[in-house]
Amino acid sequence: MERHLILEDGTVFSGQGFGSLATTFGEIIFDTATSGYQETITNPIYDGQMIVFAMPVVGADGIHAEAYESINPKIRGVIVHDLAEVSTNRQRRMNLDRFLKQHNIPGIYEVDTRKLIRHLRETGSQKATIVDVVDDHARDQLQATVLTNKQVQNTATSKAYSNPGRGFHIIVIDFGLKNGILRVLGEYDANVTVLPYTTSVEEVLTLDPDGIILSTGPGNPEDLPESVLTLIHVLQTKVPMLGIGLGHELFALANNSELTTLPAEYHGMNHPIQEIISQEILYARQGRGYVVNPEQLDTKKLFVTHRDLVDNSIQGLRHREYPAFSVQFFPDGAPGPLEAKRIFADFFETVVDYVQKNN
Amino acid sequence: MYKKTTKNQHQRLLFLGAGETDFGMQGENDAAIYQVLPILEKQGYQLFLVDDNPYSLALESGQAQTIVATLTVQNVKAIIKEQQIDGVFPGFAGDRGLRLWQQVMAEWREEDGPRPVGLGIPDSTVDLMNDSAALFDRLSLSGLAMPQATIVRSQAEANELLRDLELPLLVRAHHPAQATTRKIVKRLDDFENAVDQVIEQSLTKEVVISKAINGLKEVSLLVLRDAAGNCLQIGASEDMDPVGIHTSDSLTVAPTLTISDQVLQEMRTQAFQVANLLNIQGPVHVQLALDEKTGRLYIIKVSPYLDYLSNRMALLTGYPVMLVAAQLATGRLIQEIELPDSYHEKTAMMEPVMDHIVVKLPVFSFGDLKASGVRVNRQLNSIQKSVGSALGFGRTFIEAMEKAIRAAHFNNRSFSPKYMKKLSDDEMIQQLIHPHDNRVLLLLEALRRGYEIDELAELTKIDGFYFYQLKQLLAIEAHILDGEPSRQLLNKAKSSGLSDGLLARFWDSDFQAIRELAKQAGVVPTYKALEPSAGEFPENAHQFFATFEEENESVPVSNKTILVIGPGAFRMGDGASAGYVTAVVLSELRALGYKTVIMNNNASDASLLPHLSDKQYLEPLEVSDVMSVVDQEQPEAIVVPGNRRKLIEALTALGQKVIVLPKEKHQPMGPEEGESEFALNIFYDGARAFPLVLTQHQSGEIRLIDQDESQVDLSGIRLPYSGVYQLIWREKTRKWLDQVRLPDFGSDTWLRPMPYGQIAFLSKILQLSLIRLVVRSWKGGLDEDDLDALVAHMPALRGADFAMVSNRTDFDLHLKPDQPVDSTRYEMGAKIMRLMED
Amino acid sequence: MANKIVLDQASMQRALTRITYEILEHNKGGQNLILVGVKTRGEYLAHRIADRLEQLEGAQIPVMAIDISDYRDDRLGQHTQLGLDKEEQVNIIDKNIVLVDDVLFTGRTTRAALDALIQIGRPKTISLAVLIDRGHRELPIRADFVGKNIPTAQNEKIQVKVKEIDDEDEVEIVH
Repeated sequence: MERHLILEDGTVFSGQGFGSLATTFGEIIFDTATSGYQETITNPIYDGQMIVFAMPVVGADGIHAEAYESINPKIRGVIVHDLAEVSTNRQRRMNLDRFLKQHNIPGIYEVDTRKLIRHLRETGSQKATIVDVVDDHARDQLQATVLTNKQVQNTATSKAYSNPGRGFHIIVIDFGLKNGILRVLGEYDANVTVLPYTTSVEEVLTLDPDGIILSTGPGNPEDLPESVLTLIHVLQTKVPMLGIGLGHELFALANNSELTTLPAEYHGMNHPIQEIISQEILYARQGRGYVVNPEQLDTKKLFVTHRDLVDNSIQGLRHREYPAFSVQFFPDGAPGPLEAKRIFADFFETVVDYVQKNN
Repeated sequence: MYKKTTKNQHQRLLFLGAGETDFGMQGENDAAIYQVLPILEKQGYQLFLVDDNPYSLALESGQAQTIVATLTVQNVKAIIKEQQIDGVFPGFAGDRGLRLWQQVMAEWREEDGPRPVGLGIPDSTVDLMNDSAALFDRLSLSGLAMPQATIVRSQAEANELLRDLELPLLVRAHHPAQATTRKIVKRLDDFENAVDQVIEQSLTKEVVISKAINGLKEVSLLVLRDAAGNCLQIGASEDMDPVGIHTSDSLTVAPTLTISDQVLQEMRTQAFQVANLLNIQGPVHVQLALDEKTGRLYIIKVSPYLDYLSNRMALLTGYPVMLVAAQLATGRLIQEIELPDSYHEKTAMMEPVMDHIVVKLPVFSFGDLKASGVRVNRQLNSIQKSVGSALGFGRTFIEAMEKAIRAAHFNNRSFSPKYMKKLSDDEMIQQLIHPHDNRVLLLLEALRRGYEIDELAELTKIDGFYFYQLKQLLAIEAHILDGEPSRQLLNKAKSSGLSDGLLARFWDSDFQAIRELAKQAGVVPTYKALEPSAGEFPENAHQFFATFEEENESVPVSNKTILVIGPGAFRMGDGASAGYVTAVVLSELRALGYKTVIMNNNASDASLLPHLSDKQYLEPLEVSDVMSVVDQEQPEAIVVPGNRRKLIEALTALGQKVIVLPKEKHQPMGPEEGESEFALNIFYDGARAFPLVLTQHQSGEIRLIDQDESQVDLSGIRLPYSGVYQLIWREKTRKWLDQVRLPDFGSDTWLRPMPYGQIAFLSKILQLSLIRLVVRSWKGGLDEDDLDALVAHMPALRGADFAMVSNRTDFDLHLKPDQPVDSTRYEMGAKIMRLMED
Repeated sequence: MANKIVLDQASMQRALTRITYEILEHNKGGQNLILVGVKTRGEYLAHRIADRLEQLEGAQIPVMAIDISDYRDDRLGQHTQLGLDKEEQVNIIDKNIVLVDDVLFTGRTTRAALDALIQIGRPKTISLAVLIDRGHRELPIRADFVGKNIPTAQNEKIQVKVKEIDDEDEVEIVH
């Protein structure tokens, strides 16, 4: 059935509904990657957002067990040009349409997504709604909607849990963790404990970690309680630390630096990222609405290790005194290139050093 | 970390030309060389090019010193020494270039002086690429999987091996004399024969036997690497048909649709690994096979040089692959690449992303051959049978596929669905398992007959996705047949790529009525820019394709535009020369101050190169597609190749000013054995005819006759279009003549447009661009200066030490015809040969 | 038996990168830092670390080379020749020295290098960076920065290759 997408600036796009037929509100952003729709849709960083896929055909690979980045997707809407009705997983049970229905996520297809993306590129990320009828009521509803800033609370675990392995003990502070991080930690056979971000320093240290990962997550890091920054501030002096995505932004905040909000978010995996020290270029999945402000970087504490060569944004930081570092991009891929997985290798080498020196 | 390399270390650079076109070697390499010359010249290099391909456009470039010479080791060595060449680009001539360069290196002696550097590919890799066993070892040592291969030197050794390996097996030549041929042996009975044949094709009389991996999914990746080891992925495409059918003969689609991100990233990682192992500075084309049951990947072919995929990916993504490749070969790093202003400043560094779908369909010559009484084996296998390809651009798979079908055949479903109805169920199952050239129609027919998707996927090893899509197409067709032409239905039909012509057939109407109906209903094409950022950045795009959505991004170029209709689906020799002609037309129109717009749909020649025209429409070339572009651009005139008679008629009837480029529908037959054909070649400027030169033509070869005919009176000749023509007569002689008596033009001769291939050849030998003259005559005859130049040139237009020789294509290998194929008429390519004094 | 590659080009680069970060961590931004490479390969590694520091901090860190082939306590010969080339001598008094070597094995090379350094002045600190620590120490010496720990058998040999003189970056175990 015909459904409509209304943007905060009043623009309307029409298409056909799929997935859930509920009315939905969210912040609309676009993604230019050509693969990995399932990973993207299930990535918790998209809590509260609607995604427009630049890739015109979405769904052709069906839904697979190994491509979940979280079990319960928190995305608010999926906007595509052409929806492929395919279920090619082993049992041929699930296709994208059915998957979104099951999770109560509305979608809309047959949209001129290229026009929409060109529009968003100029007007920036904004609120949007998918509705059956475009009328004053729908427009008023959209204007009146206040989007939540509790995304991390909404997606991160409230209880500690473990993912045992025989290797190093790695603690993941969960801000809306994506599975990719656990998958890579599994490759290292790490003994993983996932902790809520409300855990205290003492509780963390009592568990005697060999390394700490600040996970990815949705939303604005400044919406998180001050206690998180204190936690990071203390832990970074004790144990090797790696921040990813939201974790990277928090690492910067904890070290006296500030962020800027991007006018249009970047979600894709085709920007070259340069590792400054070696001048090497790598490509990695990115999804960001905030970046560290280079003007407000405390260079006494941190230095820049990676930059995006397209917009020159800071993509990696490192502490001057402690074995603590962070990356804005997603080194676990899922979806996305695997070159950046070496960040985890660096992290584990640091952990080895730390363990050897502190035995 | 590496220190930056010194720039312009090698000042005098030589391109090895790509040579004659053939199966698998179309006009891509020549187009690539032509495209990169200007930017390298700007960077201060002095450029040289050697080639013997008469259809070459690059040989007529002003940016390089061009040398017409047969591509032999002796010639290349002589040129290197004479021109004091510092560096050689072997990779722009594909695998032929690598083989030639390896021979040059091997035969370089100390007394030859310092040997120039091979650019883009290290010497050791050149050697490795010509030794498949060593390559296999190198890659497998690094953990990359290739199908296990063994080299044998005799039938006995081969039989020995047979005991250990299960059929099917892949048998191919080690150190092949030509491009590799591969045979898949499924039955014991065929094994001996295959080994026998292949051993003959090997320079070292060695055969490589490996496990066949038929039935797996085939994916092609194109990656670039720079001197510091930075790699980026340009694109990936998947074949609809499984391994076992030559990738050139399969429908392919980009970007990949049915491959999960996980697998795709693993493929990317392996492709980067290959590029790093081989230490390439430039493009690497890696073909992989995916076993979906086990998740295993196999590398089936590595091509660390420019081939068709570089040109195709450049066109598909808008990323300037060739411009970047040339600079990487000279040592620049990815972040140091310079591009023309029309690109976003970061384009070279960003991996291109597509927000459109492109389908490539193979084009076969079976129909043409059948028309002239030659029957060939139409069953597809691992040996390439297609003689070209066509591309369809769209925003859905169906739209792209339908447009590719129309692009490949100039009209919709010209291969009749009725033929399919006659197929028995047994024949159908046979053809599902052993595919023929009618692949898509067969799959549609199977669905019509109620075969289940799972069943078809099993029989054909084609991903279920394609059957879901084809089923959807059948539903749309049924809808159209049942329905009235409403706005909604028209929109559905047209956004599925169906043309006005086909809809007219469905609705028993005519194309013009449907067109009007659609226009009234507001169902008009919206042209989308094709650029590498998928909308993320404003790029000054010049490439567009039609779809039916909301936003039209194309703005008319000017009010003094000429629209040029390209040759369309590539058809080997004829296609290569047509590409040459189109490119020269564009270049000359621009020189005359016109804005130009080109419509075409293949990536195999130079006609769609971004710097040759002001705008490129990547579209099928049916009347409805052309008229939509006409509505959009309002051109002053439309240039159409003369073989497109229906299109010319239709456009004229619609009130368009059409300029016809004379061309016959079919390539003319060559003279019979023991017979010679003579031609008085003529330039006709729209009012007057001027004799050019006499040529003699025997099967597969053309020579110039050293006889001055500049005074022949041709005042009686009146032709509808300006162009280059031939007055033809035949005589029974096998001898190459120095003098020939002209016949009576009134009765003993016939007149025909000069075939494009000969135009390209003569332009090079006479050093007079005949097509440029034709274009200049469109304003109402040649002006005085051009006339003077032509007349002054005439006495020199005779004799020459060169001949054009059709290549001896191995039709037996590719097509298995039941009788010899006329290599003149079905010329796949040709070379210019210097004639020795007798 | 074939040689086994334990570090390829990419992982060797990564190891040097990590050593560089750690040197920075321990030397507060590289002030008063001098890198001393133990000839032959340690010198090239020291230069690469210096290049990396320059990319990060924009400042050039002095690099010296030291030749201790005459200094080993397990070799015969007179200890007459100073390990440092005259023209390369930099004032090392009160500086933070990082000694860079390719492989740390028994520790005797390191000791010889320390002897040589102390002969020419009194640095503030001396730390040790090695690309490979293969174990089997015979002296109480330990590296501050290790690229990779590779446990080996006594009779095995570690061969470090650097692009500058060996045409490729690679570490292999030679049997």
